[in-house]
Amino acid sequence: MVRKLSLLVIIAFLSTLAALNFGCGRSSGDDTDDGPLYVDLNDPKIKERLAQDDGYAFAIFYGGDIHGSLETCG
Amino acid sequence: MGGLARRVSYLKAFKHRSNMEVPTLFVDAGNIFSDERFTAGQIPTDVMSKNKWVVKAYGDFHHDAANVNSADLPYLGELFKKEDFDKRVEEFPFINKLVSANVRPIDDAHLAPVPYVIREITLKRGVPGHKIRIGIVGFTESMPIGPNPDNRETVRGAYRIDDPFEAAKRVLPELKSKTDFIIALAYMPIDMSQRLATENPEIDTIIGARQINNTEDVQSVNRATIAYAYNQTKHLGELRVYVKADGSIENQVNRFVALDSDIPDDPAAVEVVTTAHNDFTNEQNKRSQETSSLIQSTSLLGAAESPFAGVETCAVCHQSEFEIWERTGHAHAMATLERKKQQFDTECVRCHVVGFGKGGFQSLTSTPQLANVQCESCHGPGRAHSESPAKGYGLMVTPIGCVACHTPVNSPDFNFVTYWPKVRHGAGEAAPE
Repeated sequence: MVRKLSLLVIIAFLSTLAALNFGCGRSSGDDTDDGPLYVDLNDPKIKERLAQDDGYAFAIFYGGDIHGSLETCG
Repeated sequence: MGGLARRVSYLKAFKHRSNMEVPTLFVDAGNIFSDERFTAGQIPTDVMSKNKWVVKAYGDFHHDAANVNSADLPYLGELFKKEDFDKRVEEFPFINKLVSANVRPIDDAHLAPVPYVIREITLKRGVPGHKIRIGIVGFTESMPIGPNPDNRETVRGAYRIDDPFEAAKRVLPELKSKTDFIIALAYMPIDMSQRLATENPEIDTIIGARQINNTEDVQSVNRATIAYAYNQTKHLGELRVYVKADGSIENQVNRFVALDSDIPDDPAAVEVVTTAHNDFTNEQNKRSQETSSLIQSTSLLGAAESPFAGVETCAVCHQSEFEIWERTGHAHAMATLERKKQQFDTECVRCHVVGFGKGGFQSLTSTPQLANVQCESCHGPGRAHSESPAKGYGLMVTPIGCVACHTPVNSPDFNFVTYWPKVRHGAGEAAPE
């Protein structure tokens, strides 16, 4: 009985470890690492700009008509 | 407001806020390169420099694809020359992410861009582990010549623009067989995008550009969601995609993100933009000196030959208006560019001087008297009037002249009623704030 309990505890521990490492943790996913973040995510203005995280699965960012300009005038 | 550095900063913030659980794509609907002063098959060296840095930056900051339009074709001809193509791709891998299904070379010395690219993402939300293969395909219209939309320029530089609707019929079934979700990048007016969606049920999303857009509202045509980009980089389009329990697409919600000073610049992107800026400015300086020497040696544009007289001439008879003008932002428009070292960037300069491209301002060296937004920027060329003064010149009936530069993109807060008092003059009006 003790051996069975020990085995259960070990299995539970390993399962938790696996979940933490491969399940719900940070994704190594499809997105390339963009380097460090310089934005304060707790800044209310940034929070307002990011809007609510309402469960979207992925996002497509887009633009157009930059016509050779990586910056804006003036 | 805007620029790559803020765009990159926002994208990073978005990813981190979502705990890196949300795959993101970045796509560009087209017109990414400058075709300024493209004549006789040649792009000036300063414009080449500008474009080179766009390709580099788009690659460095992981953009997924960019569509090409008619204005992109001159520089496309440089990137897709067969000679040394592999070396160029090694230096600028983003070349392989320039997409078009209806642009093809007219000679054997050039290659065609790929019609589409495919990116696979793995969901962490909704249906964790579910993979979605996303195809990104490009279409462009050929540019209309004049008011008749049927009269179009189909060949530009080394490329021909084929009918985008025929190209769609050819390419989309193949792409559908390889992917689960198709994004069509469409450089065309909205009615053409609607037709693209109507005729091609394979398309899930159309990202368009070609016209000024400032509404977040999307259109749904057939199974496609159609969203149009704000032009330039002052606002970023963000299309959020939601999935059902079986992994299929439930909904797409669009929003625009204003990239104003609340979004800090990303240092890594600033470094790239600054280097690009310096490189481009050096080329512009060289060109400016060459132009200046040419003008001095040949007297191509003597002051007396320009239809514009300059504010000093106006002031001789209109002293009170001149004094009001001196205290306005218009009188210091060039200084705004100089502070950002953009005084040689003709994309910016045109709205900070008098008569650019119309026989007026050419450069700070050759035509300094026409720098800044002066009387003739709004009232029109005044040399003839100054030489033979008479009533009737420069009458302003509507503020239509203002909106040539105060566009929704450049000047989103512009409102004639609130802006006019800042420059009010004539008939004894008060000085501006």
